[in-house]
Amino acid sequence: MKQHPLCTDCEPELDLTTLPIPNGLKREWSAIETRRQFLGRSGKVLGWAALASLFGEGTLRVRAASGDTKRTVTSPGRNQLGLPHFAPKAKRAIYLFMSGGPPQIDLLDYKPNLASQFNKDIPDSVRGNQQLTGMTAGQARFPIAPSHWGFKQYGETGTWVSDLLPYTAKMVDDLTIVKSTNTDAINHEPAIMFINTGNMNPGKPCLGSWLAYGLGSMNDNLPTFIVLQTKTNPKENNQPVSSRLWSSGFLSSEYAGVGLRSGGDPVLYLADPDGIDREVRRKMLDAVEEINRQTQAEVGDPETNARIAQYEMAFRMQASVPELTDLSREPQSTWDLYGPDAKQPGTFAYNCLLARRMAERGVRFVQVYKRGWDVHGDVVGVLPVLCQETDRASYALVTDLKRRGLLDDTLVIWAGEFGRTVYSQGGLTAENYGRDHHPRCFTTWMVGGGVRPGLTYGETDDYSYNVVKDPVHVRNFNATILACLGIDHNRLTFDFQGLDQRLTGPQPAYVIKGLLA
Amino acid sequence: MIVAERVTGAARSFVQRTRLGRSAIVVSGLIALLLGLPFIFQLDGRAHPDWLQFFGRFHPVLLHLPIGLIVLLPALEIVGARQRPLREAAEFVLRAALVLSLATFALGFMLAYGSGDTGTTVVRHMWGAIVLCIGLLLCSASRSAWAANQRGLIYPATLAATLVALLWTGHQGGSITHGSGYLTRYMPSSLRGVFPSSSESGASQDSFYAKRIHPVLDSKCIACHGASNEKGGLKLDSYNDLMRGGKDGVVIVPGRPEASLLLARVTLVPGDSHFMPAEGRTPLTSEEISSLRAWIKAGATPSATSIPGFTGVEQRPEPPQQPVGDYGRLMPEISRMQQGIGAKLVPVSANPSDGLILRTADVSDSFGDAQLAQFQKFAPYIVEAELARTAITDGSIDTLRTFTHLRTLHLERTSITGSNLGKLSSLTQLTYLNLSGTKITAQSLTPMRNMKNLRHLYVFDTAAEAEETTARSKR
Repeated sequence: MKQHPLCTDCEPELDLTTLPIPNGLKREWSAIETRRQFLGRSGKVLGWAALASLFGEGTLRVRAASGDTKRTVTSPGRNQLGLPHFAPKAKRAIYLFMSGGPPQIDLLDYKPNLASQFNKDIPDSVRGNQQLTGMTAGQARFPIAPSHWGFKQYGETGTWVSDLLPYTAKMVDDLTIVKSTNTDAINHEPAIMFINTGNMNPGKPCLGSWLAYGLGSMNDNLPTFIVLQTKTNPKENNQPVSSRLWSSGFLSSEYAGVGLRSGGDPVLYLADPDGIDREVRRKMLDAVEEINRQTQAEVGDPETNARIAQYEMAFRMQASVPELTDLSREPQSTWDLYGPDAKQPGTFAYNCLLARRMAERGVRFVQVYKRGWDVHGDVVGVLPVLCQETDRASYALVTDLKRRGLLDDTLVIWAGEFGRTVYSQGGLTAENYGRDHHPRCFTTWMVGGGVRPGLTYGETDDYSYNVVKDPVHVRNFNATILACLGIDHNRLTFDFQGLDQRLTGPQPAYVIKGLLA
Repeated sequence: MIVAERVTGAARSFVQRTRLGRSAIVVSGLIALLLGLPFIFQLDGRAHPDWLQFFGRFHPVLLHLPIGLIVLLPALEIVGARQRPLREAAEFVLRAALVLSLATFALGFMLAYGSGDTGTTVVRHMWGAIVLCIGLLLCSASRSAWAANQRGLIYPATLAATLVALLWTGHQGGSITHGSGYLTRYMPSSLRGVFPSSSESGASQDSFYAKRIHPVLDSKCIACHGASNEKGGLKLDSYNDLMRGGKDGVVIVPGRPEASLLLARVTLVPGDSHFMPAEGRTPLTSEEISSLRAWIKAGATPSATSIPGFTGVEQRPEPPQQPVGDYGRLMPEISRMQQGIGAKLVPVSANPSDGLILRTADVSDSFGDAQLAQFQKFAPYIVEAELARTAITDGSIDTLRTFTHLRTLHLERTSITGSNLGKLSSLTQLTYLNLSGTKITAQSLTPMRNMKNLRHLYVFDTAAEAEETTARSKR
């Protein structure tokens, strides 16, 4: 105990064990001893060594083996977590993220009874005492805006699909459509954080990071978790997405999503500059690693280890990424399927094609972001553009995976952060309307390994406003995704800030068994 | 007035002469009313004022109460032989049962009459209830004499008959709500010989209709559209009835799912006023709907045993996985092997009996026949081999034959030609084989057709696929 000369209270000495830091880090810190500690303990160590020699050689060997902390990329040690908990149906996942909140009423949640209620007020009993966003809370009326587009039944399941989604309509018999997804947040940032990380506040690891942490890599030449952003279309209302969404939070930065650029070189400075060949680069990296290991030994910051791993990954990506993004050898059937957009880097179709190529090469998790679904106004003008950009490409990705035999063990997820209101935001005319954010129900779909094909799950009321049957909260949605990948969401945890942190948060979450094959 | 006095006087003297008490008049009056009711208000299948149904729907709420009381009655009588207070209570229970039974019957009749129910089961249920009520009336009339002198068999016999009537009536009622096959649906197959279930007339027993269509109709529709009920004049309990249709015409148009009313009604958006099954009963699952649609499309025949192109999940369950042995003791060796070759052996899950995956994605360029051969010693533990894009050739097929527990085999984009692919047919566990982008031909796949567990065979972007496509277009 030190005492400050002007203070009568004792200042407690810094105690490592009480700090709110991950236990792994504490262990690592306490393993790095100061010289004083070393000398102080060396007497004991000598004693222990003498004792150990009495027990025979084996004791020492065990210690030596476990003391080898240097991680080799080819070690099977990633499974030390005991994952997957059970045999998975899906080995990898592709998440098509529709940022902004697609209007479920205009796409897949068909409400035939609304047509006769054009411009009538939505009953108060439906809306209840819900707090609305600032954008529509001041509206004097909440007039019902039926969908501008017709719906037809498709497939053997007779699923109703909007005329806006002619391609999605072709694969409804394969899809698992969830009409009752619901979330807690009504604005973009908290909602998109919530569905990605299980928490509205930034700082928690996202789904992809949990998967990278829990399941590890299937191909060490490529990142385990890749994020592809789609170029924005100025006609659309684009909400920002940021690397917070693919952050690894308190997990090591190794598990964060690696973003590929939507234009130009997918990874900057990937090609070696003139005069630097592969061998020189290797030597440089070896030297940097040496220095980093020294720093790690002195400071004990786990980020140093992450940095070492990332330098190595970047080096391997110099060889693997050009092959990955080289589409010149794609057969004509690819272009027939994905359409001409797929030749334009940065389009959603191009990203879907890349996602398929990544799935083939063993990337565990690919998340494709498509922004612009935030249709507060001019739904009639903007929504066809959005659907034209995404409908065919989503269908192409699923069909392509299916014909190549990859859909058996790949889970494809299509979701936004929330849905949109049945009532019009701003003026409702016979020709046009707008829709505000709506967290109480939205439609998502999944397809592939682990989920039941041709299923429509959950129901909403006549106004697509409240869930009336089989609700799927975002927490449970995420728990179900983990289940498809062989993970028990309650057991994939990380001790941080006194909690066994998990993707689904501290509240109870359930796997929706009805969605599973 | 005089006439009236005379009539009552005559009646009184008649009663006195025949020594009938006032209760006897009430009893016989009620019996006459019960027997006459179905003839006054006939169940003609037409709906009547809504208030009848409103009250009628309390029938299912009330009915379990008198059942309990009636069943309690013999217990009270028997145990009451030793414990007198119980026998005294029996009188009260009997009267309560009687009153409640009459009320339940009244509600039930209102329900059937109000909603326009008709059909044999409903009629049987009604007559059963009438017999039951009459039985209870007679019980209450005969009990006092029996209780006084403890002799006579009229009361016990009536009570026994009433219980039989209760059982039968209850069963008919259950059949209305749950369908006729409710009790026997999950009967062990060994019992089926003893209790033969009702045969589906007009269809053979192992047809697609009998196996997949009739069970759906039986569990989801027959409660309202069956022998019991015939709502909308529609009966669905046999193939012939199904094809005959109802008041709105035929409901199944063979070959044309889009014109088939039945399919249209079950695929409406739930909440639509025409959606079936109505009144919040369990909707058809998407699997049931797709089997219905496929069946109608294929001609809606009573005899076809399989529908081309229809692969229901239930129809083709994945074969059970054979557990592999514990590879734990091999871990050091596995670890060494990985360091050397670079390919990995990864556990499928934390459960060792799920086996290992051979993963080569990191080193696919340098992984050839020789490298694969080195993994042969772990063969019995490997359930999945990810060999896509590797340098292996046809020479590896012999090695792969020793991977006896292999369930999933990825060979896409390798230089496999398929010349000796037939050797893999000894892998009985194999369910997934991906040969996309290889040089295989349709001919080399012929031996694979006999592998009954091989469910997922992919030949995208191969000569085999092209040949199949041309063959199909010619046909």
